[in-house]
Amino acid sequence: MGSFILRRVMLLVPIWIGISLLAFLLTNLTPGDPARLALQRELGHQPDTAQVEEARERMGLNDPLPIQYLRWLGHAATGDLGTSYRNGQPVLEALTNRFPTTLKLAALGLAISVTIALPLGALAAVFRGRVVDHFSRIFALVGASMPSFWVAYLLILAFAVNLRLLPVAGSSTWKHIVLPAVTLGIAGSASLMRVVRSEMLENLGQDYVRTARAKGLANSYVISRHAFRNALIPVTTILGMRFAGMLGGTVIVETIFAWPGIGKLIIDAIFDRDYPIIQGFVIFMGTVTLLINLTVDIGYGLIDPRVRPAKS
Amino acid sequence: MGITQLNRRTLVQGVAVGAVGIHALAATNSLAQSDTTVKIGVSEDGYRTDERANVGFYPLNTGIFESLVHLGEDYQIKPLLAESWEFVEPNTWRITLRQDVSFHDGTAFNAEAVKYTMDRIASNGGGSMGLGADSCVIVDDFTVEITSSRPNRRLMQQIGHPNNSILPVGLNPAESRIGTGPFKEVEYVAGDHFTVETNAEYWGDDKPEIAGITFNFYPDPTARMLALQAGDVDMITDVSRPAAGQVEQMGATLLRSPVGGYEAFYIQIHGEEPYHLGADPAVREAISLAIDRNVIVQNAWQGNAEPGHTMIPPAILGDSVSIVAEPTYDLEKAKSLLEEAGWTGDDIRAKDGTALTLTIINGYGTAADHGTVPEILQAQLREAGIDLQIVQTPDTATYEQRLSLGEGDLWLEAGSQNDGNPGFLPGLLFASPEEGGDPESTMYGRAFAPGAAFDEQIEITNNAVDMAEVQEAAALGMNLLINEEHIVVPLCGFFRMVGASEKITEFSLHPSGVNQRWTSLRVKG
Repeated sequence: MGSFILRRVMLLVPIWIGISLLAFLLTNLTPGDPARLALQRELGHQPDTAQVEEARERMGLNDPLPIQYLRWLGHAATGDLGTSYRNGQPVLEALTNRFPTTLKLAALGLAISVTIALPLGALAAVFRGRVVDHFSRIFALVGASMPSFWVAYLLILAFAVNLRLLPVAGSSTWKHIVLPAVTLGIAGSASLMRVVRSEMLENLGQDYVRTARAKGLANSYVISRHAFRNALIPVTTILGMRFAGMLGGTVIVETIFAWPGIGKLIIDAIFDRDYPIIQGFVIFMGTVTLLINLTVDIGYGLIDPRVRPAKS
Repeated sequence: MGITQLNRRTLVQGVAVGAVGIHALAATNSLAQSDTTVKIGVSEDGYRTDERANVGFYPLNTGIFESLVHLGEDYQIKPLLAESWEFVEPNTWRITLRQDVSFHDGTAFNAEAVKYTMDRIASNGGGSMGLGADSCVIVDDFTVEITSSRPNRRLMQQIGHPNNSILPVGLNPAESRIGTGPFKEVEYVAGDHFTVETNAEYWGDDKPEIAGITFNFYPDPTARMLALQAGDVDMITDVSRPAAGQVEQMGATLLRSPVGGYEAFYIQIHGEEPYHLGADPAVREAISLAIDRNVIVQNAWQGNAEPGHTMIPPAILGDSVSIVAEPTYDLEKAKSLLEEAGWTGDDIRAKDGTALTLTIINGYGTAADHGTVPEILQAQLREAGIDLQIVQTPDTATYEQRLSLGEGDLWLEAGSQNDGNPGFLPGLLFASPEEGGDPESTMYGRAFAPGAAFDEQIEITNNAVDMAEVQEAAALGMNLLINEEHIVVPLCGFFRMVGASEKITEFSLHPSGVNQRWTSLRVKG
């Protein structure tokens, strides 16, 4: 297992370089002058030619692209991802300040998804065609049909405006995380539940389940220890991908709930052509995604002994 | 026994606890009502925290810092930390400072503080004033002379921008916020809130009558509105025009400022085929005549705007505003003008085999900022036989890239005025471009500049000392753009809107958000 993890970690280096090159080129090919946009934001109006030139020089944007890339890569190798054009904050500081906030939200959102989806999906399969199955189907249909911003506004109307139990938006108390996490949780649980249901149905029809029942094992044991455990294997992959997606793409929820996470940071950076933040974000999230995939691979081994690396 | 009884007991206990909770909540609400701290929902935390830090003064002006002059709601500058000023030929402004002002930490405000601030601006590129390292000279403790590194007679209009607020010597606003303003900082939590309290020692006459303000950041306009409805905040800024009616529906008050922003489109006159049709004066005049501004105000903005006839806020032109004639809506005249110019046809007009098809680019600030205006323009121009294709750009950067390439006929924009220089925006956008200048930096001039007659007026706005003369020249230049050359077609004048709960009893809303003075806030209790 140790050498397996080491091999996977070593693979990160060329992938990092590939990601950085791609991020740098795509960012720089996007129309728009970051110097002009940064000045517009700072001044509140169009800058003049001299101001734009001074800013371009200061930001190093007048250098040829390969020089800019190598300079950036050299600094990145030492952990310096540059400073934001928008507010001058060091990129690494901006990312690491925001990431725990998003991580907290995504983790809670995923936990809510899992809490809803796993039991409901499993029950829907076990009681196929019964009330719980119909309920789960309606829940999945509604959950998958409603965009997350709509769910967010409904939750705000119910719990903040009418019941006045929770704040509309913000991040300063524990109460502030409830609504955005539930929004993410509901959005994620619908499709996850359908996957759990279909995997459970497939496994419940397998020979090994019939054999286990024929051996006289209790139905609850067969469902929980055999069928459910096997159904979790593809679900684990989906959870890993969904978690990575939540970490990088909760911008709508973060914007509505004024949650100062990494999603809002990157969207603002894209609109402002804040190259250092965009490039830093891509590298950072690429790394996080690779690490999540690595964790999922290791998790496979724990769930399914067949995919554990053989001992030498 | 037990389950039913337990449930009943639990239920009774729950109701009791709930009742106490509701009572406590009611008591808290009552306390909140009598509290004179105001919670305001604002759009975003856009502060810088590097060496150019502007925390507390821009884009949200928290009232901690003050500049030498203040831009009044009529867009004319008024003394603030400067008592008086005079122009000294050839390029110097001598400014006499107030002597009764101190910073929040008790340090005296004097010429040293002004020099420190101006030197900081100079080290960060000089700002719109064009300051250099030696621009600010101390004459005595309460007199400074400021000389721009380029000829600049609009310096006093520019120096009032909150970005030029005065700092005590040695202060880095990224680390602490100590100003001379009516409010002192209590707490800043980036991205969440900024709390200030009243400065009891404030030197000015307009002392705050509230305990303090907490600005909560809500980037999403709907969430901001819901926060007002939920009672999380007492007031919200930047109410969106289409949603303004909802503020009153929820029982809050909608306050409007004087006009401080505008919406207009510009017609490219120097374009290459296929974006060359705006070069025809008849086409431009017909477009101007075919636009019914009242329909735009009512349909796109639900009455929450005014038909526009200037580009910049009319107030900034003073008495000279009457020079800029109001554009008229006359569809029949538009049609006959096009006929006379050879643009004929029953449906979409054509001339020499070229259809009168124009492209409007929508994306400045964002396409969403303009709501249904492009579609309304499309329908109105169609009445005159002009086909309008709509292109939405995803953001300002893409819009500007397209403008630098000249790929479009009509360019839809919205903007606002934050300083007192009436010639700044027209000059920046429509003055003739420098020879050999960077295409992106001179993109507006390359597309729209009408030439020498306009440039002459801009020269006057740059070089005259007397403001009446500056206003007259700006008005003449604008009239040329709007009513003679028909390059600019103003659509709407925008006012700012805030929604206020019943707790707010009085508030004077400034047309420029960054120049807002919060001292006018009055609350119940």
